[in-house]
Amino acid sequence: MTSESVADMTGIEESADSDNSPAAETQLSNSVAVLTTLMDTVQQQVLGRDDVIELAIIALVADGHILLEDFPGSGKTTLAKALGEAITDPRFPSERQNQSSEGSIVPFRRIQFTPDLLPSDITGVPIFDSNSNAFHFRHGPLFAHVVLADEINRTSPKVQSAMLEAMGEKQVTVDNTTYFLDELFFVIATQNPLDLVGTYPLPTPQLDRFLFKITMDHIDRDAELDVLDTYKSRRDKLGKRNTVTREQVLAARAQIDADVAISSAVKIALVDISRNLRQDDRVLQGNSTRSMVLMLPALQVSAALRSRNFVSAEDIELLLPRVLEHRIELAPGVSDIAGILADNMRAPMEQLARGTLS
Amino acid sequence: MAQDMTMTADSSAHHFLPTSLRAVIIASALWVLSLSLTVFSGSVAALLGCLIACYLVDWGINRSPLDRLRLLSIVLVCAALFGLGLILAAVMTGTDLLANLASPIYTFNASEFIKWFAVSFSLTVLLRALAHRTSFGAVLEIFFVASAFVITLSAHRNGMIHRPFFIGDFALTRGIDPASILMVLGCGTVLSLAALLMLENHQKRLPYHFTVLGLLCFSLVIYVRTFGLPTPQLTDDLGLTGNEGIGSNSQRENPFRDGQNDSGDKEAPVAIVVFRDDYTPVNGSYYFRESAYSQFNGNMLDFTTRDDMDQDLIEIFTNAAVETSQLPASINERTAVRTSIGLLVSHRSPFGLDSPVAYQSTPNPNNLRFKRTYDAYSLAPEFDFKYLIGREVGREDWSAEVWQEYVAIPNDPRYQALAETLIADLKPQYMNDPFARAWAVKTYLDENGIYSLKNQHAYESDPAASFLFGDLTGYCMHFSFAATYLFRSLGIPTRVGIGYSVPASNRAGGSSLLIQAVHGHAWPEIYFQDIGWVIVDPAPQQTLVDMTTAPQDSLQQLLGDMLRDQTSFEDFLQSRQPPFIDIQLLLNLTYALIALALAAAYAIKYYRLWIPAHADADQQYRVVYRAVLDQLAAVGYHRDYGESREQFATRVAETAPTLPSMTHYHLHRALGDADSQGFDRQQWQLLRDSISKEIQHNVVTWKKVLAKINPFTWVLSK
Repeated sequence: MTSESVADMTGIEESADSDNSPAAETQLSNSVAVLTTLMDTVQQQVLGRDDVIELAIIALVADGHILLEDFPGSGKTTLAKALGEAITDPRFPSERQNQSSEGSIVPFRRIQFTPDLLPSDITGVPIFDSNSNAFHFRHGPLFAHVVLADEINRTSPKVQSAMLEAMGEKQVTVDNTTYFLDELFFVIATQNPLDLVGTYPLPTPQLDRFLFKITMDHIDRDAELDVLDTYKSRRDKLGKRNTVTREQVLAARAQIDADVAISSAVKIALVDISRNLRQDDRVLQGNSTRSMVLMLPALQVSAALRSRNFVSAEDIELLLPRVLEHRIELAPGVSDIAGILADNMRAPMEQLARGTLS
Repeated sequence: MAQDMTMTADSSAHHFLPTSLRAVIIASALWVLSLSLTVFSGSVAALLGCLIACYLVDWGINRSPLDRLRLLSIVLVCAALFGLGLILAAVMTGTDLLANLASPIYTFNASEFIKWFAVSFSLTVLLRALAHRTSFGAVLEIFFVASAFVITLSAHRNGMIHRPFFIGDFALTRGIDPASILMVLGCGTVLSLAALLMLENHQKRLPYHFTVLGLLCFSLVIYVRTFGLPTPQLTDDLGLTGNEGIGSNSQRENPFRDGQNDSGDKEAPVAIVVFRDDYTPVNGSYYFRESAYSQFNGNMLDFTTRDDMDQDLIEIFTNAAVETSQLPASINERTAVRTSIGLLVSHRSPFGLDSPVAYQSTPNPNNLRFKRTYDAYSLAPEFDFKYLIGREVGREDWSAEVWQEYVAIPNDPRYQALAETLIADLKPQYMNDPFARAWAVKTYLDENGIYSLKNQHAYESDPAASFLFGDLTGYCMHFSFAATYLFRSLGIPTRVGIGYSVPASNRAGGSSLLIQAVHGHAWPEIYFQDIGWVIVDPAPQQTLVDMTTAPQDSLQQLLGDMLRDQTSFEDFLQSRQPPFIDIQLLLNLTYALIALALAAAYAIKYYRLWIPAHADADQQYRVVYRAVLDQLAAVGYHRDYGESREQFATRVAETAPTLPSMTHYHLHRALGDADSQGFDRQQWQLLRDSISKEIQHNVVTWKKVLAKINPFTWVLSK
């Protein structure tokens, strides 16, 4: 909801909007514009996945990564590609955006993980240049804004750990030389929830690297029809889309971090939820403190996406299940993670809501 | 839109709610009616039969097979059922077979069950079918319910607080004032009738009217708790009560014109007398003197205006003790009697057992019941009439003027002529004896007078003459005036005493005596030297009216217990129940707590709605939002547990479209930067006003009315 529509509904005079609609929100408007542009652009290409797009953008701006559990052909690549292409980098001319060139960062890369993949296949290798008589580092696919790591559970733990180091540290180390990845490094990893034969499931500590784990369902009937109707026209419209620059995204990240307030009541609610979860008999191991720390920026972005300069219960309700679902281990025989989360959220959220009146 | 939704909701509940309500009302009417007529099983059967019949008819009247039956057939079927039930019950109790198989009591209970089930089922089917099929049926139904209650409660008239017995006994054994139960029953009746009335037309108005009526009834209870119960209104026929009716002046001047002398309220209790000393009157009646007509004013006898007459009377109530300035003589022939008197009806002057010598006000043990309580000290005569023979009349210290006043009569020679005739037959030795002369006159009136409440004399210039020289038909006023004039014409100082005369048998061995309206009386009394005023009351042997009343022993005892000693009455009650539960105290505590809770709830409710106008600007976000939440909760929208403010706002956006944005501003202030300046007072007020308007516009009326009345609306608002 934009601030204009709010003012319209209240029936308060125009002056109220300019004078009194919270001042900090107007400062945020640049960031909000960036987020909105990203949303619009990606939504044009990926239909029926608005929730996933929103979460992906939140993770992108909040400096996190997402893990999608999805079926093949459900638009993961389209999503990642659209997101990558929505971000331009003025250091390179647009026609070369997607071309592989040495020492460059490209908007989007897709890595298909297989059992025989080697770490150097994703990080890059030093190769000997006979002309200069020296080793020269050839960048791997990780050097991109948006990386789609397809079926990440299908590759060996060795590759997984290299991948996860890159995600955690935003750097790769090859032959004792460290190469820094781009500041906007963003991974969308996927795994197939059904076909588990010959896979290496990610252990819980590695799952902790992902900000969100999103379990996707098939899109609804109308959206699917829409996809079939319009895939051609959407392909034709390539290039006409609005984009944002890498710097704009980074600036938005900084500004949201600075300007979106997280009240102590919100933090209390988060901590109480964590503590409740740890005490729940159905939970074997509760979530880490780090998960809460990681969640804060995401909450801020979520608030900014809704034109708010403060984090509210809405944001927690949206993000908390995505953040915690893959981080807590349930007791044997228990599977209703959504129910457990809802049960443990209720009291702290009630506390949060009541607190606004006192 | 909201109204459309409630419309559909109403129509879906169209059948169930009114049917149930009506069923409950008719069933309770039948139940109340059956209570005094049958045993427990019969009452239950009446209840059951009525409920079943109500649902059956309401759901089946428009369906097969009931819709094919003509009204006449339904009536006939009902009559057949009615008869069948009665016959079956009679057969069951009439044969030995069942009584032998089971026990006789079981058989009796079963037959009562069958009988009352048949009665109530057929009656209800008939009423409901008539209500559905005819236009007058609903009226019959209401009439039936009303008369059921009226018949049951009609015993409770004229202050008979112990009736009907099944309520009175129930209450008294539990230490509850039966009046409270009767009041509740009355309120229930009014509510039921109102509900029945309203059920016929606009159902949407039902809760509204119902609430208003409920409040009215509640206020009635409050009124009675505060100002006391309504007491019987008595006509001032003897000038006793001081109830001034229309034309009271002429009425006081002329006690014969007491109008109708309506016997309808003759059983109404007037006062209760508790005897502290034992005393039985010699002549069979207790006389309680209040005042006297002694001065002839040229037209008839009236209250005296002279200070030196009737000095034994006390005219006004005082808070302190008061004694007569003139004591009766012949103390040895009198006994001192202390009585406690509780007035149920206001009186002009205190009265006491003949002859009262002192009064003392006592603390009123029951303000609701008694207008005034006092102790009366009397010197009651223990001599019989033989004691009076040969006595002189008059008092030595009377002046000639006073003497003259006590023998003044109308200027009518017939009095003296008649009196002379009457004493002509006396034996010579009694010829000059005042008492013997008076006795001769009394005997004449006893033998020839006819007691009747209807008489032709009220508007004659001298009703006593019209009575005495006419048909000799009249009531106590005529007899006493006629006797007084005759006595006076013989030179005997006489006056008309006013008060109550109660047959001694009414005491029925107890120590309390109930005085009822019918006991109001007037009598001639003669002043004998060294004795005092002595009542010589003509008692006509022929009477045209039955002035006897059914003995009110239990009421007499109840009122007496109330008056005698509140604590002993409560002791008596407590001895009948487990000592650790004091129901009355619990009830009072509960009332007080409820009242306190209500007052506190209203205070909080209106404080929370009022405070936004006075709170600091930086608290506006909080108090205004809270007030808005209260307003929404009052009309049924409140946030569920665990629901976020935004979810709630979205949920009620249809009713209050402004709420989501207001919630946004509220949360911005509550969860955002505390130092950022939000709206000022006026803008918060604007937001609240717009939501108030939206509620006003989108919410159905009865919810809004309920929101105003309900004191606990704020409880659910959070």
